[in-house]
Amino acid sequence: MTGSNPASGTRIQITGVGLALPGATSAAELLRQTPAPAEPFDTAQVIGKRGHRYKDRATQLALCAAIDGLRDAGLIPADSEELAVPGTSMGVVASSNLGNLDTVCGAAEQINRESVGAISPMGLPNASSNVVASHVAIRFKLRGPNLMLCNGPTSGLDAVHWAANLIAADRVRRALVIGVETRNEIVEGLLRTEAAELLDGAVALVVESAEAAAERGAAPVAELGRYRRQAGLDGCLEPLLADPDQQRPAPGIWFTPERYAPDGTAPVPASVPRHDLSRAFGRSSGALGVLQCAAATGWLAAQGSGRALLTNGDDSADAVASLLLDRPGADS
Amino acid sequence: MSQLITGAGAVVSVGDGVEDVFRALCAGTSGLAPLRGFDRERYGAQNAYEIDDRPAEGDVPHRATDWLLRAVAQAAAQAGLGEDLSGIPILIGTGLRELRSAELAHRAGDALDADRLHFGTALRERFGADRTYTFSGACSASLYALAMGSDMLAAGTEQTVIVAGVDTLTESMYGLLDRVHLDPPERVQPFDRSRRGVLMGDGAAAVVLRRETPEAAPGALGRLRAVSMNCDAHHVTAPDPSGIAEAVREAHRRAGVKPGDIDLVMLHGTGTLLNDEAEATAIGEVYGPDVAVPLMTAIKSMTGHTSGSSGLVSLITALQAMATGQVPPTVGLSDPVQEAAEFRFAREPISGADIGVAQVDAFGFGGVNAVAIVEKVSR
Repeated sequence: MTGSNPASGTRIQITGVGLALPGATSAAELLRQTPAPAEPFDTAQVIGKRGHRYKDRATQLALCAAIDGLRDAGLIPADSEELAVPGTSMGVVASSNLGNLDTVCGAAEQINRESVGAISPMGLPNASSNVVASHVAIRFKLRGPNLMLCNGPTSGLDAVHWAANLIAADRVRRALVIGVETRNEIVEGLLRTEAAELLDGAVALVVESAEAAAERGAAPVAELGRYRRQAGLDGCLEPLLADPDQQRPAPGIWFTPERYAPDGTAPVPASVPRHDLSRAFGRSSGALGVLQCAAATGWLAAQGSGRALLTNGDDSADAVASLLLDRPGADS
Repeated sequence: MSQLITGAGAVVSVGDGVEDVFRALCAGTSGLAPLRGFDRERYGAQNAYEIDDRPAEGDVPHRATDWLLRAVAQAAAQAGLGEDLSGIPILIGTGLRELRSAELAHRAGDALDADRLHFGTALRERFGADRTYTFSGACSASLYALAMGSDMLAAGTEQTVIVAGVDTLTESMYGLLDRVHLDPPERVQPFDRSRRGVLMGDGAAAVVLRRETPEAAPGALGRLRAVSMNCDAHHVTAPDPSGIAEAVREAHRRAGVKPGDIDLVMLHGTGTLLNDEAEATAIGEVYGPDVAVPLMTAIKSMTGHTSGSSGLVSLITALQAMATGQVPPTVGLSDPVQEAAEFRFAREPISGADIGVAQVDAFGFGGVNAVAIVEKVSR
């Protein structure tokens, strides 16, 4: 099927969730209805001062979420960061659109104001957009494929999809997916947006083949269903939700694109509750899809049945991406 | 499952279109020129390998996007796909996406069109493409994208994918690279003892990849045997020879070839002190007694470091070498480093070479390595 997960039959599960953002310390708390506090997430309490050296804020947040996620998945112990599986069995897929804009624009500005001698050479790695993914790999010695999606509004769900593809293609058995965005004066200026409107945080997921999870006795919290990326909300959602045999009930919740204005025309039945995570956590750009997956695991854990529909991008974007998340082992 | 490359496009400093670029490379033409878009007084290094398409004064945004669209259009046309690419996956590998446009907006105090930092918006407008993915993978990005495109075909869910790479100079990357040079390089001299570092180049490249069928094979440009990808997990900028060697071995293993089967190695060869040594060490280790079997060349000596696009630019060059028997030289190489002393470099343009199987290297910041193996279709 066009745009769906690979037809190889590999079942892909989420076995860990990690958070580094204000206002939530568990997947269940991501379902809060009130705005998260403005107080920034304190990365020093997780990675210490040494962990900060020469790293941009997005990388620091990503490392914090990664530690939390790997620990939640049982891939590192409570008291160290030693990986319980071979580093070659695990890849990294990160997603961020705005993460290194401050390094890039700041360095260019300083060069133009003074000269190249005025900039710190330690900024060099941060000028390349894959810096988040490579720092995460280095910290935990993850030697599988190392990807960074910078794919606009759909980037977060796309990252989850590509992690699944890497696993289905047998490149790796598991992947650490990270969505991260941050805010600073440069981003606020470029986007003409107030700081309070923007997420400053990271979310991590451990995505794993069902077989690999079972082998190490991991407890999955969700299973990936169909994915699709196509132009327009209707174009993406109608085929994704098509169920000619009426075998499945409608999704139990729809995590909508950010700042989604309900107009009644979306091809998701009006009876399905809508949840816009950007109301509580701010505009999340490339992190939104990963944040939605994390929140959906909280929702699945709290519900007796049903599956979650996640959507990134709307009719104003170059395309819309959607993913269905089900409870582990459910027949989707 | 076999996969064919049925279309290709390329735009770099020395040419526009695959044949134009290849002709220039085989003539030893270099795109080296004084920096055009930036204020030269601010930098130690003064040269780069830019595509000369700016207006008379100043710089303009979205040049990388324009080259990408050109390269994709060339590849799609050659493959007979036309201009409607809706539903066809397009995977774009890039190191710096449209960060140059962000730098220009920031300096002018303008709002950034955030929907154009990635390439999907322009690809949708031009080709109706809506399954587009912008991967930021540093300097191996386009071969990483090729690996993932290849996986999509192997999964059996797709018949055709387009894989592309693109990058342009940013002031931040050019400046930060300049900042770490001991002595600013005047040109890129891969594997030469007198090399002083890397200079960036502009470039875009694209290929159409499809599942092999008897009808498609006769017109195809080549066959993709395999692509490996891994990560050193060692250092953010310094390469690790063991990670590179592992990527080369894995590519050979996936393709079912041995070092002695390879006729041409398109080296990554950036001209930096560390990179060239690490690559030469890794190649020497994997090839062992067969290290002098393949011809080797490093075209960044003429294109500069075209970053995310460089892997595909090299791959397309390898396909042309198979078709024509011509191999472009490594310009400016007179005294190879010790680690590459036994390599059979193309130091002058070569013609009449019988190239059946080629290896293409691409390595990037963060230790992200990818190696592709391609072969002539008639084999």
